[in-house]
Amino acid sequence: MKAIFILSVFISSLFSHPHTFIDVYPTVKVQSDSATVVNFKWVLDDMTSTILIMELDKDGDGKINEKENSFIHDVYFSLFKDYSYYTYIKVKGKDIKLPEPKNFRATIENNKICYSFDIELKHDIKNTVIEFGDSDFFVAMVLKDEFVKADGLHAKVTGVDNDFYYGFRLEFK
Amino acid sequence: MELYNKLLHTLVGWQYELNSYISTTIRSLNDENSLGTSLLILGIAFLYGLIHAAGPGHGKALVALYFTSNKSDYKKAFKMGYMISVIHAISALIFTFGIFFILKTMFRKNFNEFSEIAMLISAVMITLVGLYLIYEAYSGRKHKEKKAKKSSKSEVAVAFSAGVVPCPGVMTIVLFCIVLNQFTLGILAAIAMSIGMGLTISLAGIFSIAFSRKAGGFLNEKTYILEMIGGLLVFSLGVFLLLATTNLS
Repeated sequence: MKAIFILSVFISSLFSHPHTFIDVYPTVKVQSDSATVVNFKWVLDDMTSTILIMELDKDGDGKINEKENSFIHDVYFSLFKDYSYYTYIKVKGKDIKLPEPKNFRATIENNKICYSFDIELKHDIKNTVIEFGDSDFFVAMVLKDEFVKADGLHAKVTGVDNDFYYGFRLEFK
Repeated sequence: MELYNKLLHTLVGWQYELNSYISTTIRSLNDENSLGTSLLILGIAFLYGLIHAAGPGHGKALVALYFTSNKSDYKKAFKMGYMISVIHAISALIFTFGIFFILKTMFRKNFNEFSEIAMLISAVMITLVGLYLIYEAYSGRKHKEKKAKKSSKSEVAVAFSAGVVPCPGVMTIVLFCIVLNQFTLGILAAIAMSIGMGLTISLAGIFSIAFSRKAGGFLNEKTYILEMIGGLLVFSLGVFLLLATTNLS
């Protein structure tokens, strides 16, 4: 079964190399032992951003207004749902479904498109592992130690081998 | 598996750096530094293409499988790699300029829809090439000279079926240049990147030929068995790509 899965992932990845690079900036706000909000800020690479800005900043003022924000959310950002927003949560080693992102906001910063959204977790963050990656290999999610903000916690970023793609893992102590 | 993933991860890391370097360098272009900077951009685009094609891609898989099934020399592998890169570049330029100037909006969405159609064409063609190779191996098992003439047709079919899917990486660079009013640089960068990709694809063919020579020697006069297996593998690749494409849409 695993071999068939690996083969099908491999075959679907044959059409792709990473074409979009996304820097992921997680900010963790612990509210209690069983409630944590993680804000994710995705910063898309310069080339992809320039193409998207041409399309999405319809009035060309270099800012994303409310109407443009709703359009980006409904037409573009919601497409990532099928890919679990390239974000996977594990609590005590068990996979859990990614909660629906809230407070979506698109901005333009230094010629780059940024998507910001919150994920509300109802678990102790110290038992939670967050992984990032695209098994289709079309998007490369990039996480570095310096991108993580987690006051009062020790955050650890490592690379993770997921059979047919390489991703990043974020865990806390 | 672990080694393969580590290699992919390293390649992704290099592409991440090169992608950022290319965009920064294109943005830094001005009247005073145009020649030197343009040449630098073309050099990086070539390198980017070389590394970009080293990741998973159906072009390399097809070329590698094709050459296991065909008694060829290394020159043919180079020729094939470059036929694919020329078709790849033309396809990317037609798609980019077509979507940009004719449709004007929704580049990403239109691009996804058009590339799905191109993927479908590619998958159907690869399946047909596989069938043709099986037929060629079967009918040519006693008529080697006749077979050699037929092969050039299948080479063009293989190059077209691998190259017709425009590379989003090439399209992104072209479009980025168009948005920054660097039309000529965009076209030249697409060509430079495609040449880089062609070289990597050629290498896949060369490795495959080296392998099939060894296996062919082992099989002695019965190389048509290897050709038949190669044809079946190309056919299977086409069917799997067809399934993957129809699942995507």
